Amino acid sequence: MATADTAHLSHGHDPGVGHDDDAPPPAGPPSIKPLAIVGLFALLVATAGIAIVWSGVVPVVLAALVAATLPGRRSAGGRIAMGAITGAIVLFVVCLWPGEATLEGELPSEAGHHLSWIIGLPIAGAIAILFLPRQSPKLLQGTTLAFMFATLALTLPVLGVPMGRTYHFAEDIAWMPRFGIHYHVAVDGISLWLVVLSAFITPIAAYASFGSIRTRIKDWCFALLLLEGAMIGSFLSLDLFLFYVFWELMLIPMYVMIGVWGGTGRIKSAIKFFLYTMFGSMLMLGAILYMAYAYARASGGTPSFDYFDLQRVLIPYRMQFWLWAAFTLAFVIKVPMFPVHTWLPDAHTEAPTAGSIILAAVMLKAGTYGYLRFAMGIFPEVATDYAPQLGGVAVLGGIIYGALCAWKQDDVKRLIAYSSVAHLGYVMLGIFALTQASLEGSVLQMVNHGISTGLLFLLFGVIYDRRHTRGIDQFGGLAKPMPLYAALFIIATLASVGLPTTNGFVGEFMIITGSFMSHTLGRMVGMQAVGAAIGVILGAVYMLMVVQKMFFGPVTNKENAHLPDMTERELVAATPLVLMIFVIGLFPNIFLSQIKGAAARVKDDVEARVDAHPGPKYFEGPISLSPPRAESPRVQKPAVIPSADAPAAPAQAH
Amino acid sequence: MSTLLALSPFFVVGIGALLLMLAEAFSRQAPKGEPQADHGLAVGAALVLFTGGAFAGGLWMFGVDHLDVSGAAPWLLIDRFSFFFDMVICLGAGLAALVAGGYLPEHRLDRGEFYALLLFATFGAMMLAAAGDALTLFLGLETMSIGAYAMTAFRRTSPRATEGALKYFLLGSFAAALLIYGFALIYGATGHTDLVGIGEAARTPAGHSPLLIIGAVLVLVGMAFKVSAVPFHAWTPDAYEGAPTPATTFMAVAVKTGGFAMFLRVLLVALGDPKWTSWAAGWPPIVAALAAVTMTFANLVAGRQESVKRMLAYSSIAHAGYLLLGITAIMRMSSEAVASILFYLLVYTVSTAGAFGALAICGSRDREAVSYEDLAGLGRRHPATALAFSFFLLSLAGIPPTAGFFGKWFLFKAGIESGLYWLVILALINSVIGSYYYLRVLIYMYMREPAAGAPVAIPMRSGYITAALILSAVLVLVLGLTPSAYLDAAITAAAYAASGSGG
Repeated sequence: MATADTAHLSHGHDPGVGHDDDAPPPAGPPSIKPLAIVGLFALLVATAGIAIVWSGVVPVVLAALVAATLPGRRSAGGRIAMGAITGAIVLFVVCLWPGEATLEGELPSEAGHHLSWIIGLPIAGAIAILFLPRQSPKLLQGTTLAFMFATLALTLPVLGVPMGRTYHFAEDIAWMPRFGIHYHVAVDGISLWLVVLSAFITPIAAYASFGSIRTRIKDWCFALLLLEGAMIGSFLSLDLFLFYVFWELMLIPMYVMIGVWGGTGRIKSAIKFFLYTMFGSMLMLGAILYMAYAYARASGGTPSFDYFDLQRVLIPYRMQFWLWAAFTLAFVIKVPMFPVHTWLPDAHTEAPTAGSIILAAVMLKAGTYGYLRFAMGIFPEVATDYAPQLGGVAVLGGIIYGALCAWKQDDVKRLIAYSSVAHLGYVMLGIFALTQASLEGSVLQMVNHGISTGLLFLLFGVIYDRRHTRGIDQFGGLAKPMPLYAALFIIATLASVGLPTTNGFVGEFMIITGSFMSHTLGRMVGMQAVGAAIGVILGAVYMLMVVQKMFFGPVTNKENAHLPDMTERELVAATPLVLMIFVIGLFPNIFLSQIKGAAARVKDDVEARVDAHPGPKYFEGPISLSPPRAESPRVQKPAVIPSADAPAAPAQAH
Repeated sequence: MSTLLALSPFFVVGIGALLLMLAEAFSRQAPKGEPQADHGLAVGAALVLFTGGAFAGGLWMFGVDHLDVSGAAPWLLIDRFSFFFDMVICLGAGLAALVAGGYLPEHRLDRGEFYALLLFATFGAMMLAAAGDALTLFLGLETMSIGAYAMTAFRRTSPRATEGALKYFLLGSFAAALLIYGFALIYGATGHTDLVGIGEAARTPAGHSPLLIIGAVLVLVGMAFKVSAVPFHAWTPDAYEGAPTPATTFMAVAVKTGGFAMFLRVLLVALGDPKWTSWAAGWPPIVAALAAVTMTFANLVAGRQESVKRMLAYSSIAHAGYLLLGITAIMRMSSEAVASILFYLLVYTVSTAGAFGALAICGSRDREAVSYEDLAGLGRRHPATALAFSFFLLSLAGIPPTAGFFGKWFLFKAGIESGLYWLVILALINSVIGSYYYLRVLIYMYMREPAAGAPVAIPMRSGYITAALILSAVLVLVLGLTPSAYLDAAITAAAYAASGSGG
């Protein structure tokens, strides 16, 4: 018996190898291997690009050389990485400028399962991570980055396709035909940039996190890859069932990231985050089920979860209101909008840096995107009817209240979190306003917010790793010991404030001007736009205040006097974000030219529906279907499906 | 011959039980207090059960239409409905047997009677699922329950087990008495004991007699006891907590499935007339109220538990609440709703058996995993065990892409299509509450470290339980990724439930 017990005990200690308490991965100078992967990838992209676009060679090489030879003590790998990143981003601009140029020449083929690869690669990577040994963190980190870069590389060909008004790369496979559940993915101008943003931000967050996350690296890599796959999947799905699956799948990795690697209050924050989001999404699930059933009733056939089918269902106003409310609640919690925003500051404060970056940069966009695509696309009548009220909430509860709350914070991460509430207020206002300019601005602002707030969290993570405190009063005069850090932080702040030539300016400007012309925001439209403009001023107040308190003046706290400036790893992680701020600020047309068509389509669709059924109580009659639309990619439906649907019909007849 | 073939799943399990008793009697007993040699009884029991399930599945494939089942009617209704339940019950009981194979030796409870009891109780549950007459129904119910009572009290030295078993026995007998009293009244009103006959009599204008209504209500209450619906659930947490984990697994899985088979059969065959299934004058409002109270109460109480086993007990009550929602949905769209219940039971069986199996493997002798605190830091100490446990809990919480998500999905879909909006919204909110306490286990396993010097659970090593976990995990994943084929099977089975014609 005694032997058996000792066997258990020894078994119990076996897997301890490789955990944080013993043998942490060697700290100190960042390893060359991940750097080399970054460099190699970017070089590959650069050479491939050079082969395609000769005209772009000179600026690309020049920019790369400048970045690689910047003064400072850096390793060769770091210099190559910096040069390659800069070169790649300049190449990006050169290839896509001036936006419409892509129309010429041969278009990339849309055949094949391109989007499935983009969704599947990170998930496959997550599964691959499970089979790697826990004891070799370098291998785990390298694999994670390799999968993420491969995903990013796969999203780039999609950029070459002019999006126009329609959907592209559509794939529609019957998954559970009896229940009308399809695997239906497609990309349009709205989801395009969000997918690219997800694929762009996650490797940066992952790379930055490898410096500070030293426990349970295997679980961490698994969560990161799974999260990336789920986020991209939710942006690409056009089947509501599929969307819901990805939407829920996003929750668990983020919950684990906050709960395991977060700060002291992490468990409470993680539960709060989970319950808030789950509550909203559960009610949305009920609404989705009802919609599918309504479709079955109206069409007399099988239910359908397809976005294009559900868009055609006309539902009595009273019922439509409740369905829309369920969808909206789910999305508004995720955005988050006043008064259900309270989980966000807690989650951001306690989350590890990479968690905050991904949460702010991508996950919150799932809410705004979901509202724009689904709540507004499926229930246009109610959505426009309640736009004035919600617009008011977005201005008062989001932009102004968020800014005032941010002003009063003495915790930097909470401050950035409240600034997110304010910024997403703009995005929501632009969506409610429903004009061409405001919609384009909203979609662009989603990307902008991802980049500038992601950068702010990344940079705050740098100082947090050194000082392990979040209080603003703990810092002061940081510009002296950390000049490079201060410069980058100020760039991020200015982007967040919306200074011209940075990305924030373009988005906010378009939203505010667009909102002035809105027909949906009701009589108070001028007030709302003015409120949004006041929010810009408030934003400058609180962001510049925190910069002034943290970076200027004398070094008040002795601990800050000799802080090391940014390490190579941190610099390499921040570079692409800093560059993108200016790329969007200077060349917004690259982005807007792709968004334009889809924004116009959303606007026209909503207006067509509202015009067809005027009046507040537009539709009282029974559930029915409007005729299918020409642009719906469902016309390419494979011929197998009707036959597969047929045996289900009798079961539905009850 | 054909009748024998139709009854073969019963014979496999029944004869297997007898053989197992013999094998146990003739195997050498170790002196008291010393560890028992492994006689392979667990493997034998699991094999018998899986074979029984395979026979049921094979007969399913073969087609009930080719069988002559008139010999069994009207006492037993052999159709796809009962074959489906036979499969689910045998699967759940087989998983419980595998869990027992690891758990009993570890905790020095290794006596062969357990397996014989398990098999006889399974036999009873299968009979319950096929019962077409009040008498066979009662026989099946008692065969199943007596086995379950004995298994609950299997840890004789523990006062807790005795208390749980006594409560279970007393309340169970009470419920059985109510049930049989109800059937007696129904017999008085209709002159029939067979469910088809009762159904026909209840369909006549005179069928709505007060005697029949009182009888039906008594039967409903008796059945609500058996599936542990609130407010008839009082025995459940104590019995589940006191019983050895494999017995708890069996009760949560096979007994509950058998109970729901009985519930469905009685409601559909005997009280399946449109008049009885109407909201105004039938049983749906009663069942809907039961469902609402059951899930809300159980979920709220489960969140307050400090013992994981008790939490899982309350969670099984909550799942009974969701299933009752499905039963209410029968009133509008009968076969789809029944199919969603069958599918949910299958999903619930594999997820719950997996969760209890994981709980069993998390502890060892004297270091059993009971409270949340015991599990603190398990994710770091034993990643594989913790991962398995989390996986089953996520399935119970209904997070995609696990089977539990699809189970809930189809169940709620049926509810919405029957127009039970408020009940479905309540169930959705309950799922949120439910996810809180399932995730609490994850929090303790992954995000907390045990307090210094506090006792922690030390997982045992057992090939049997590992096999059960792998089997359930594969099923949870397969049912979660490709649910359509299994759901189609459930729909075919559901079509037979109401016919009562024996295929």
